[in-house]
Amino acid sequence: MFSNFDWDVIARSLPYLFLDGMTFTLMLTALATAGGVVIGTLIAMMRLGGLPVLPWMAAGYVNVIRSLPLVLVIFWFYFLVPYIGQWVTGASRPVQVGAFTSSLVTFTLFEAAYFAEIMRAGIQSIPNGQVAAGYALGLTYWQVMANVVLPQAFRNMIPVLLTQTIILFQDTSLVYVLSITDFLGAASKVAQRDGRLVEMYLFAAAVYFVMSFAASSLVRRLQARIAIVR
Amino acid sequence: MIEISRVSKWYAEFQVLKDCTTCVSKGDVVVVCGPSGSGKSTLIKCVNGLEPFQKGEVTVDGVSVGDPKTKLPKLRARVGMVFQHFELFPHLRVVENLRLGQEKVLGRSREEADAKATALLERVGLTAHARKYPGELSGGQQQRVAIARALAMDPICMLFDEPTSALDPEMISEVLDVMVDLAQEGMTMMVVTHEMGFARKVADRVIFMDRGEIVEDAAKDDFFGQPRSERAQQFLSKILAH
Repeated sequence: MFSNFDWDVIARSLPYLFLDGMTFTLMLTALATAGGVVIGTLIAMMRLGGLPVLPWMAAGYVNVIRSLPLVLVIFWFYFLVPYIGQWVTGASRPVQVGAFTSSLVTFTLFEAAYFAEIMRAGIQSIPNGQVAAGYALGLTYWQVMANVVLPQAFRNMIPVLLTQTIILFQDTSLVYVLSITDFLGAASKVAQRDGRLVEMYLFAAAVYFVMSFAASSLVRRLQARIAIVR
Repeated sequence: MIEISRVSKWYAEFQVLKDCTTCVSKGDVVVVCGPSGSGKSTLIKCVNGLEPFQKGEVTVDGVSVGDPKTKLPKLRARVGMVFQHFELFPHLRVVENLRLGQEKVLGRSREEADAKATALLERVGLTAHARKYPGELSGGQQQRVAIARALAMDPICMLFDEPTSALDPEMISEVLDVMVDLAQEGMTMMVVTHEMGFARKVADRVIFMDRGEIVEDAAKDDFFGQPRSERAQQFLSKILAH
């Protein structure tokens, strides 16, 4: 069945697939994770803090984003961000931001909503007594957060955060709708140029599987190592 | 040093503190006892502002706790507190638990904070455990670390919220010994506890609370000799019986 397959096409295109494609995929995953965790943590703190209005805004943001298909948001941002840029800067025509910036902003904001829910659970898992003990020492709200609550919340949530990152790694393939050369985009371009669709898509699937599976196994091992002794 | 004046507190409709008035002078040890749910933990947490109250006034060393202009973190840094469930920070080593407040709140250098931590760990007999995590210690050891953590801030007074009630019986005395030492050195202390042996040994006064009220506030000998209220008599006969 594989007799008329040309596996050579994979070998020939490896540098392009990995140096261009996979580098982009990993970079987008890493940057969106970093930005998403930071913004997500802030959203979670807004949602749990006792201030007026903020919890409501944070909940609204999370619920809206989580109710939209990612592809739609990617498209929407790509076409909308230039106009927002125009509106903010007061320029006479839409500000071109490029597919990379646009997709990075989209993924960061999208992931922030998911990470916010994870961090909310993480923060809520820390007993009130810990917060009280921090306050009793004279720490301020931000010091209690930074030194007592968040380090423990992160530690408790690292497995879930990493699992979400693996999902993000797979989701970044959706940037193909913006014709970006991520790993899948690169594979797709080679496939169409050389007319080797089956070989390239099989290979792409195998690479995504191997990387995701290996990462999941690592998360499981890490989970056992980092648990806080209580 | 601690003045509590006509303090009342409600959780929605339910009144947990009713017009409580008492004081703790410098160097005094005051034991607060009473049945569970009587409001004694709530009262002690009003002293460092961990629990807000709706009426009355609490002052510590002349600073009003309820005043919105008071910088609570600054006040709390001078009032040590020990909790029923220790509340050590489980992600930090013992010595790091002792350093955190000193560095972040008092602005001490790492060396100063370390020196203080080492001295206090020696005092509570835990020098060998400085590099361990709280989860590796027994309950009694954890509570002694918690006392050392509070002392590291050089507090002007100490609050103890049922410091021995989460401990196994055989570990209670190691914690009480540290507290007795502290009392005999002249530390101002307000202690919520059922340990009447401790009260007999070092308390100057005993306060008995029931249903949010201070029912009895008497010198130790008077309290144990002839409690005036019936409720205090009943309480004492119950906990002294065993």
